Amino acid sequence: MNDIAIVGGGAGGLILASKLAKEMGDELRNGRISITIFDGSQNHEFQPGYLGVAFRGSRPSRMQRSLTQLIYPGVKLVHENCSVIDIENRYVITEKSVNRYNFDTIVVATGCLTDPGQIPGLSEANHDFHTNASKSAELYERMSRVKSGKIVVGIAGLPYKCPPSPNEGAFMADEFFAKRKMREKVEITFVTPYLRAYPAEPISEVITPMYEDRNIDIVTGFNLDYVDPQKKEILSLEGDSLEYDELILVPPHRTVDVVKKSDFVDKYGWVITDKRDMHIKDYDYAFSIGDNTNIPISKAGVEAHLQAITVASNIIEDYKGGTDKYLFTGRMQCSMETGYHQATFVVGTYERPVEKKFPSTINYVEKKFMERIYWSSLKGGYEWLFRMHFGDDYIQKISQIKPPRQISRPETQK
Amino acid sequence: MTTLKVDSRGTSCPGPITDLIRAYRESSNGDVIELLATDPGVKADTKAWCERTKNELLNITEENDVYKVEIRIVSKRTR
Ligand SMILES: Cc1cc2nc3c(=O)[nH]c(=O)nc-3n(C[C@H](O)[C@H](O)[C@H](O)COP(=O)(O)OP(=O)(O)OC[C@H]3O[C@@H](n4cnc5c(N)ncnc54)[C@H](O)[C@@H]3O)c2cc1C
Repeated sequence: MNDIAIVGGGAGGLILASKLAKEMGDELRNGRISITIFDGSQNHEFQPGYLGVAFRGSRPSRMQRSLTQLIYPGVKLVHENCSVIDIENRYVITEKSVNRYNFDTIVVATGCLTDPGQIPGLSEANHDFHTNASKSAELYERMSRVKSGKIVVGIAGLPYKCPPSPNEGAFMADEFFAKRKMREKVEITFVTPYLRAYPAEPISEVITPMYEDRNIDIVTGFNLDYVDPQKKEILSLEGDSLEYDELILVPPHRTVDVVKKSDFVDKYGWVITDKRDMHIKDYDYAFSIGDNTNIPISKAGVEAHLQAITVASNIIEDYKGGTDKYLFTGRMQCSMETGYHQATFVVGTYERPVEKKFPSTINYVEKKFMERIYWSSLKGGYEWLFRMHFGDDYIQKISQIKPPRQISRPETQK
Repeated sequence: MTTLKVDSRGTSCPGPITDLIRAYRESSNGDVIELLATDPGVKADTKAWCERTKNELLNITEENDVYKVEIRIVSKRTR
């Protein structure tokens, strides 16, 4: 029996469970393995859709599906969050129970959360499009009431998920006011602690002229210290200040409590994860995927997806006694919507730096198509398409040489 | 005065600068941040970062393809 526990049924956890269940159907039916997802949330949300909710007024319910609908047949769902993850002793405990759930293999996929409390004044003053769909809808309401003034968009602290999303916020705010024929009544400023509009230079070179064209100011090297909601001012660690009427900053993110308090995290609370095979610390039966890892790569769904495929492939290979090993290539592909039905992608791997890609309508269509197939992809649908699309970056296979089989010869031949 | 050691070896842009920004948040005036990185871009990036944030670039050395950047934090406003 091999009991596989997946803590977190988000993008990464669901894709992983689906691949395991799809490819180990017989073992699952015969009871030789079990796959259990632990997750207390009622709904899974399509997070990239928050931008549409915040800046285009899309309905939050369009970005949600009941978690139970997304579970691949045969996979068990314990519809509760974990309060303890003990890798050493191989058990988890859920919030509403005292029972231990034992496991042989565990995958930690609990994502990450916005943590505005890290910056004084931010919770009170800011409206973001990263926390959830309903908060994003609140931002749309506020945006709709703006008549004029200073809109400050950008990055409040590191790390945060989906690196291009603050830029998308700036471009979509521009589109929002332009469409309402009131663009000249608002000033839009983009603030970032980085030294350029986008941290990776090739993309920054592409988008900086767009900021100029659209009359969006960029303030770089701005390390937010605190917000003064009374004066409507943000202040940097060096003492620079900037006034706002509407503040739309991406808050710094953190891991969930059960992970943060565990003994398998770095000093900032992120899971210590091998960037190639995704194992946690020195454990060969514990893995971490998606936004909760400490690997130096963007926190985004495509990465969570490919990491899930890597880990699932290794679990299957191990179980079936194979000797191949699968590695995550570091492939990232974050879409950046630049408004007016155009988008670019931030694409790279561990080996290949980010490419210079210009926004186009084709990219926008690709992004929209990915959105359409999102729900199905969580259940393993369209995997052939992802494999084809990512090519060699999809997964790296290392074929290990099998040890020579010992052949016992009959006595007479000696 | 504390020396904050930041190991960004094996990460490429914007890894080292991200790690530097996070360490900067925890630092106080007088502290030294010692950043190790393998990405050659770290030289130009940390120079520009020190100019922008008005902190003091003490030294950049290279040994066996590892860059060691030392920065003294001097520009933090005291609240
Ligand atoms: C505005 C925005 C735009 C984005 N755009 C893109 C994009 O264009 N492309 C892209 O690739 N990515 C994008 N992303 C990022 C992407 O949505 C995430 O990176 C992705 O969802 C990460 O998957 P995950 O499985 O790590 O975490 P999640 O999908 O967040 O899932 C984590 C799960 O863990 C569960 N959980 C939490 N605590 C516990 C606990 N104690 N016990 C059990 N379960 C728990 C949660 O309920 C949740 O279901 C965007 C995100 C935002 C906010």
